[in-house]
Order: sequence, then C-alpha cells, then structure tokens
Amino acid sequence: MLKKVLPVVLMGLMSSAVAAEIPIVGTVESKCVITTDTQGVYGNPTPSKLTTNMSDGGVPPIVRYDVIQADYYKALISHPETFTESPALGDVVNWVGLVEVAEVSDASMSAYDNDKRLYNNVTEIDLTIAGSTWFKVTSTANYGYDKAFPAGQYRATVQAECIAI
Amino acid sequence: MKLFMMTLLTFLTSGQAIAHEWTPTYPELFQSYVKGVLQSELTLYNARKDVEYYEIGVFDKDMEPVSFAVSQRIINVEYQRRKKVSVFVRAKDRDRAVYVCSKSKLLKDSGTKALITSNICSKYKR
Repeated sequence: MLKKVLPVVLMGLMSSAVAAEIPIVGTVESKCVITTDTQGVYGNPTPSKLTTNMSDGGVPPIVRYDVIQADYYKALISHPETFTESPALGDVVNWVGLVEVAEVSDASMSAYDNDKRLYNNVTEIDLTIAGSTWFKVTSTANYGYDKAFPAGQYRATVQAECIAI
Repeated sequence: MKLFMMTLLTFLTSGQAIAHEWTPTYPELFQSYVKGVLQSELTLYNARKDVEYYEIGVFDKDMEPVSFAVSQRIINVEYQRRKKVSVFVRAKDRDRAVYVCSKSKLLKDSGTKALITSNICSKYKR
C-alpha cells in the first residue's frame, strides 16, 4: 500500500515546487533620459567650411529626450562655439548653429519649435509633454575670410542638458 | 554616390542608442551621520558606450557652484551599470543648494567621434 501511495505524494510535492511564481518588480518614476541617437560628423564642402549639413556631406547629431511626466524638465541644447580638438588655428572661426525638432512621439510636441527660447548658443525648451523628442543640431564653422582649414582632425561638442523645473 | 555615403555614415553613426539617466528628479536632503551635514541619494545609469566617467556637481538657482562632498567628484560608471551616489551638503547651504547634476566627461584620446555631452540636473525637494 505504502509503495503505491508514496510516489503519488512525492509527485504532488514536486508539482507544487514547479508551480512557484517568480515576481518581477518595476517602478516607473519621473525622470529625464538623454540619448545620443546620432553622433554627428562634419562635412567639408569647401576648404573654409565645416558643417553637419547633410547636403554638404555632414551628419547632424541627434539627441533624444525622454520624459516620463510632463512639465518636470526643460531641455537646454548648446551648439558648439569652439573646437575641442583641432590643429593650430591662426584665424577666427565663425560659428553658426541651429536646434530643431526632428521627430516626436506625440504630434503636439512639434510646437516645441515655436516655443523654444534662444540665447547665445543655447536653445531652451520646456518639455511640456510626456514622451520622446528627437532634436537635430546643425553646426557650421567658417574659417577666417574664405581661408582653408589646416589639415587634421576636428572635433566639437554639443551639450545636451535636462534641468528639473 | 554622395547619397550612398550619407546613408552609410548615418547607419554607422546611429547604430547604437546611448543614454544617460540620473534619478530621482526631486531628491530629498536628509540628516547624515555627521552633525550639520545633509545627505542625498541619487542613482546614475550609464547606457552610453562612449562614456565611462561622469562629474557630479551641486549648484544654486543661478547655476553657480555650491560646496559639497562626494566620495569621488568624477565617478567611473561602466556601460549599462547603475551607481548609487551619496552627495553631502552643509546644512547652512540647504537653501542655496538647488540643483544636483551629473555631466558626462569625454576622454580626449578615447578615439570616439563623440560630439555630444549630456548633463542632467535634479532639483532638491523643498
């Protein structure tokens, strides 16, 4: 009798162990995530010009801002005004830059382009809608008065900031 | 040919999405184990493959620096790792300290073509 009952009891115990549940816990909290979507490359269409314009052989850097809750953060994006790496430059470099909304996860975010505030080389945008926004940064450097940039490696940085309001 | 090069460049440079996260949005300043010193706890998540170091800073409402203490001002956070950071501020600076920020640091000789530095600032809860 015991020989017949014991396997059944053991199987019952095993089946209860197999059915154990493993919890997965997660929390969604207010935050801002800055993602570098595209790094950016300077094109050199003429000897005196370096630009991230696609039509001139460059690639504009794209930064994505993800915010979980609306009205918690503002974005500050600064286009370059100096090279962080370059050969010795004896003349003035004239910088021009522009920050534009490239893609949005919510159609109403396209209003950011009209609502943005510009000062110096900074574009400030209140992130008033929850979701993801992609900002495209165009940067152009002109050397002297049509002077040729010396050969070498050039690098400049865009600063993407997310400040809690 | 030009279009092909542009497409290729875009593909090569946009292969990996790389992110920086600094939470919570509104950290609290609470009494630390040292009298007259307040503490806050924040978490840095590094999903930027091109960045290993982040600089911590505390600022007032005008983004002027405020004195603070942290185990390391420039911290090493490996790719896809989280690090808890304890930031200490003097109790007398409680009202001055408004923002606590983490800023990515790009290595000069990293060999990457990084064009973007990221800086996220949380605001102390009042």
